[in-house]
Amino acid sequence: MVDHPAVEVEDLHVSYGSTPVLVGVALTVPAGTGVCVTGENGIGKSTLLRCVSSLQQPDSGEIRVFGARPGSTPEFWRAVVTTVEPPTWYPGLTVREHAELVCRAHGQDPEEAGIDEALERFGLGGHIDAIPPSLSSGQKQRLTLAIALIRPSSLLILDEPEQRLDPDGRQEVASLLAQYVAGGGSLLMASHDDKFATASGAQVTTMESLSADAS
Amino acid sequence: MTTTTVPLAPVRRWIGRRQSAHRERGATAGNIYFALLFVAIVGGMVHKQLAVVFWPHSPNASRLVAASLVPVLFGLLYLALRRFGPLALSRPAASWLLPAPVSRRRLLLPSLRLTAIVAAIVGALEGIAIVGHAAPRTLGGSSVALLASGAGLTGIALLLVALAAQAGGRWGNRLDAVVSLLLAAGLAGLVTDATTDQPVAASGWPTTTALLPLVGALALVVGVLFALSVRGLARTPNERILEAAKTAGTLFDSAFGMEPSFLTDMVERRYWARRHLRSVRFPARLPVLVTQDLLLVARRRGRLLWLALAAALPVLLKDAPAWLTGVAILIGILLAAATPAGNVKTDAGNPVLLRMLGLSSRQAILQRLWVPGVLAAVWSALALGLLSALNELPPGPWWALGLTLGPVGAVAAVRRARVGFVRNELLPLDTPMGTVSTGPLVNAAIGPDALLLGLPVLVQIAQHHPLSWTTVLVQAVVGGVGARAYLVGSTSPDRVELNAPR
Repeated sequence: MVDHPAVEVEDLHVSYGSTPVLVGVALTVPAGTGVCVTGENGIGKSTLLRCVSSLQQPDSGEIRVFGARPGSTPEFWRAVVTTVEPPTWYPGLTVREHAELVCRAHGQDPEEAGIDEALERFGLGGHIDAIPPSLSSGQKQRLTLAIALIRPSSLLILDEPEQRLDPDGRQEVASLLAQYVAGGGSLLMASHDDKFATASGAQVTTMESLSADAS
Repeated sequence: MTTTTVPLAPVRRWIGRRQSAHRERGATAGNIYFALLFVAIVGGMVHKQLAVVFWPHSPNASRLVAASLVPVLFGLLYLALRRFGPLALSRPAASWLLPAPVSRRRLLLPSLRLTAIVAAIVGALEGIAIVGHAAPRTLGGSSVALLASGAGLTGIALLLVALAAQAGGRWGNRLDAVVSLLLAAGLAGLVTDATTDQPVAASGWPTTTALLPLVGALALVVGVLFALSVRGLARTPNERILEAAKTAGTLFDSAFGMEPSFLTDMVERRYWARRHLRSVRFPARLPVLVTQDLLLVARRRGRLLWLALAAALPVLLKDAPAWLTGVAILIGILLAAATPAGNVKTDAGNPVLLRMLGLSSRQAILQRLWVPGVLAAVWSALALGLLSALNELPPGPWWALGLTLGPVGAVAAVRRARVGFVRNELLPLDTPMGTVSTGPLVNAAIGPDALLLGLPVLVQIAQHHPLSWTTVLVQAVVGGVGARAYLVGSTSPDRVELNAPR
């Protein structure tokens, strides 16, 4: 996996009806680095992330994740974590049990993976026995990010991870993402917060600069 | 600060006028006409069946049955009233009129009136059915009318209790538990009657002269309580009314959209929102999704208890055609296996968590089949074992046959949980009775159709021959092969999502 860039996008075209959203977009995220895409609402950041996560079919163009086409295979989803789609939660399962379930499915020991510490760091220490639907939207966002960071992965694809987080939470998440990248993980995210993006160790690039029109 | 109360009647009239502007002329009259026509036609078609239910040729129930039917029927009425409110507003009224400075009592009164009428009618019908099955035909018409009125008044009294419980605190939940116990006791009474030979009771009914003061007193008490309830109507807390308004709204959504999952999902969400859970550690040895299903089942002990009691219910069908017992067993295994179905339903609706887990759809479904399979096997072994112990079935190892139904129930429940929304784009069917929409029919059949894998059991029960181990083996093989075919055919080791991409 190390031989290939984490993400390679070439000449990507996507349009909704007659409205072109992505025109000739090209992007490379070298393995072990982070890239943050910024830009105004509706410019196609989420669409780009959805295409890279294989959750949306582009009209044309080439996408490679670790040298292979993204797909819905278990291997792909063992390497890639995305928060592009809002999660649903299992009925009758607490916050901690959701985290433990994901850990166990990846063969991790929850104690060794440090789920209690992680939940504590994300400010969920007092809510481990709550069911996720009873949490606030910010807490749900923290839980999603906590689970995404606890489980093993090679590439994180995050859509505005700073959303709904308070300033302390943003700082905490940014430093955890910086650790993730420093530990050899790759990161592709969209954000409106340049400061947050820089703090998380990602190289900031604008959506306009990725399009064919820009050059 | 002074509070002004705006009169409600002009507001309601104004809303009514605006709404009627969107309706066709005479639409209400047309609706009433069609409703009456529908009742007349259906009543004409099934009047024989209705007679069997409400007024058989001769009384056929023992004292025990009559005494058991009272808590069963009225308990169900009470629990239904509690489940749906009983006091509800339409969603628009809950949004716009509840926070408005209008008289709360006047706002809620129409809803109470309508519910009281429904409760009285249902109560009276239940009373007539009990009298019809248990009272001698020598009982005078006036006595029957009095008994039916008493039952109707009891229906209203139950409504008033449910109303107080809606406004009140914890005692409401305790009373629900007591009523559930009475209901269970009533069902136990029915099962006991079916297993013993009780004489048909057709004597000892009170005369009109004895009934008249009783029913009169009941009417007086209910009347006073009703008046008190109306006075206290304004004290019903807002959040309870909003909750009931959501229930009513979802009920209508389900009915108009022909999408029962709206309602079941809401019931499930509310159930978990009320529970206080403690996180447990997962054992390392079991597959994760099996552990998760076990956890969900362990947290639904009430449902498990009802399932265990329900294993005795097929005994009630001893006088019905034998195949009906077989059908009841198959429906029972579907209900037992569906206990942890919420997990599969979540994955089928949105594969986000499956992607997070990184398991293939085949691994996921294989793990999800285990707990439903065990539940179905144990339930049917209990039910068939009990029937066999009571000599309602010919000799043979019926409990073993029950165990072989495990995979059948598991496949049916998992298939049902994966079904998704009703497809309303399917072609409607033109019949002499009118147009039938096929989407909901097809949707309702997905899941139960897998119960066909239990055909050997159905045939065996219907034939009423002694059971041999060969049949047990045949059912085991059919169930096992069917479950394997379902797993291979509906999942893939290379795909995470449960549904193949369209």
